Amino acid sequence: MMRFLLLFSRQGKLRLQKWFTPLPERERKKIVRDMTTLVLARKPRTCNFLHWKDLKIVYKRYASLYFCCALEEQENELLALEILHRYVELLDKYFGNVCELDIIFNFEKAYFILDEFLMGGEVQETSKQSIANSIEASDMLQETMEEYMSKPAF
Amino acid sequence: MSPSVRLQELIRVIRSARTQCEERGVIQRECAAIREQFRQNDNGGRSHNLAKLLYVHMLGYPAHFGQMECVRLIASPRYSEKRIGYLGAMMLLDEKQDASLLITNSIKNDLSHSSQYVQSLALCTLACMGSAEMCRDLAPEIERLLKASNSYIKKKATLCAVHIIRKVPELGEMFTPSAHSLLSEKNHGVLHGAVVLITELCERNTQTLDNFRKVAVPELVQIMKGLVMSGYSPEHNVAGISDPFLQVRILRLLRILGRNNDRASDAMNDLLAQVATNTDSTKTAGSAVLYETVLTVMDIRSESGLRVSHPPNGEALNVPYISMTSLLKIVQTDHNAVQRHRGTIVDCLKDQDASVQRRALELSLALVSSVNIRSLMKELLLFLSTCPPELRAHAASGIFIAAEKYAPSQRWHIDTILHVLTTAGSDVRDETVPNLIQLITSASELHCYTVHKLYRALVTDISQQPLVQVACWCIGEYGDLLLKGDCEETEPVQVTEDDVLDALETVLQSHMSSPATRAFALTATMKLSTRITENVDRIRSIVSIYGSCIDVELQQRAVEYNALFRKYDHMRAAVLERMPVIDKGQTNGEIQAPPNLLDLLGGVCPAPGDVTVSLLASNSTDSDITSFSLQAAVPKVGSTSYPTTTKPCSTTNESPHQGSFCQDTAQIDSFPTTAWS
Repeated sequence: MMRFLLLFSRQGKLRLQKWFTPLPERERKKIVRDMTTLVLARKPRTCNFLHWKDLKIVYKRYASLYFCCALEEQENELLALEILHRYVELLDKYFGNVCELDIIFNFEKAYFILDEFLMGGEVQETSKQSIANSIEASDMLQETMEEYMSKPAF
Repeated sequence: MSPSVRLQELIRVIRSARTQCEERGVIQRECAAIREQFRQNDNGGRSHNLAKLLYVHMLGYPAHFGQMECVRLIASPRYSEKRIGYLGAMMLLDEKQDASLLITNSIKNDLSHSSQYVQSLALCTLACMGSAEMCRDLAPEIERLLKASNSYIKKKATLCAVHIIRKVPELGEMFTPSAHSLLSEKNHGVLHGAVVLITELCERNTQTLDNFRKVAVPELVQIMKGLVMSGYSPEHNVAGISDPFLQVRILRLLRILGRNNDRASDAMNDLLAQVATNTDSTKTAGSAVLYETVLTVMDIRSESGLRVSHPPNGEALNVPYISMTSLLKIVQTDHNAVQRHRGTIVDCLKDQDASVQRRALELSLALVSSVNIRSLMKELLLFLSTCPPELRAHAASGIFIAAEKYAPSQRWHIDTILHVLTTAGSDVRDETVPNLIQLITSASELHCYTVHKLYRALVTDISQQPLVQVACWCIGEYGDLLLKGDCEETEPVQVTEDDVLDALETVLQSHMSSPATRAFALTATMKLSTRITENVDRIRSIVSIYGSCIDVELQQRAVEYNALFRKYDHMRAAVLERMPVIDKGQTNGEIQAPPNLLDLLGGVCPAPGDVTVSLLASNSTDSDITSFSLQAAVPKVGSTSYPTTTKPCSTTNESPHQGSFCQDTAQIDSFPTTAWS
């Protein structure tokens, strides 16, 4: 399973964090610090895989954001690259030409999309269209409820 | 009360803060307002406030006061509030917090909600942060959802079941019946979840594994064939591969089912050949499937004809890493096939990429054999001098093990170890020093050569502690050979007694020397008093200076040596004479070389020797003691937990009266074997 998934900028600012195992707050902060240090120190023409403690770290840079996830020993690293890519495609479809600012200002939506794609560290749904439909329906449910209650969303 | 700032406005304000201090100020003001509004139960802005709090939490600021608000929002009937409440629960609550138990009831209610999106929120949260108690409480609900619902909920319930099993493995039996029936679903999401669930069940329970092996292998092979041979399916296609996520999971499950079982392996052989041939590996998706196929083929007992020969392509930068990882798997079964690639692997040792270097190191250590030891060791020693610091300890211990196993001659062995100590001396493990000393004593013809080399190394550099310790020990033991000057194996150099004593004194006085090193040096100086002729007085004065040293260990030694000079001078020669060859079997029991070079830490297992325990007790009770028993607790080697086995070993029937002593001695020589595993 995937242990955690982090998104951070080139300056090391955290944009999204998803933890699939229970860890105390202090431990999480330390891991985020370690990951940003390790990944940002990688030279440009190196492979996407790292070793850290007993986990395999897979990272990929998309424009100004680094997508970084930690896998257990028996996981397939190349598939993890595909998972990261699929998540980026989902964000792109939802926001339309997604950029870092979209994720900053709509972080809760990024989490909702992630929760439709991954669950408990495993892939939940392998069809892009299906996930897009679910997100749309949930948003619709939120809006109609809001309209009905005549109160704005966030 | 100031009107609360909407979420995006807050984010804008925080981002425009010019200094850290300004940002902190904005956030503190906002958090104060949020706390106030939480207390007042403001109905309108609750989800706004929690969303703002979650953003602030992501920046690293404390947000624990939002936990109860999450609980309240989850219980709200409005979908938008539930959504943000559950998100807050996943971010702020975990099983260590007490508040997490409070949401169990809300989750239970939401699991039977009429809207599938509310159900999905509850399932997702349970799978993300459900504690063992919550899982136990809600498992029956999840099992119900597994059977009777639409595929949207089924796939989520399946992964929730996976999480439950991870937390509470005994509940696996509850989900086993439904798991098999899920394999006949058409929906890929449910199918994927089912495969993950079955994998998890099989990994935890061998009985379940056997059952699934009988019934599931044909079905899985069928599904896989369908994926590989089917035409273009737009919904699941990734770079020409139909649903690589599902393919990889199925391959992994087949690997587990086919391991150590010929019948199951036979059933999969055709399929694996088909996948290997038909998968286009120019893009990452195809490479991922091919990579998993290779791992599966290697693990199950497949026919030797089915060897995947073409390496995965995909992104050029990842190819060396992935190829070497595959080769690492292959080398355990087919050593010779990998030897052919030795040249490329050795080249990868010099790669810029630290991950590639790590894999190359592991592979090189696995490829070492008596045939290639000399050439490969040259490369490894070169690597040691240029490798990144995080790999040095691994490289050093790997080199030692390889050298011990395949050393062509004792001189080569000693040279290699000395080379490692001079290059990476501070990264070697502690046992290296006694091991090396034992090796040196056993190579009696090489004493002269060894002590000369070590002396030269000592004079050049005294910062690497293991090297200095070994050098001091040798100079102390074989100082006479050093001073004789002539040695067949290395060019002669004139070393005077003063030079040697200078070197030892430098070590004693240097701030770089650790206390243990200084102890070595002091003892060596003392030993030299019987090996040299002219400067015994110098040695006496050095030793007496340390009689008032702050370090207690050094002081004790110095005082004892001083006594040797004064009162026991007649014994000095006998006490300090050359040591006999240390038999490896006597140090800490038999040390077996690890069977698998890749398992560097796992193979060393000292066998128990005899242990004698004496007990002296006095009777301080009013009555007589009729018997007492002596129990020994055996700590598990290598574990940090406390004594785990006890071995009652003797009782005595003495009846000492009050105030008298009783004593017993017991020999413990039959430890349970598990104590040493």
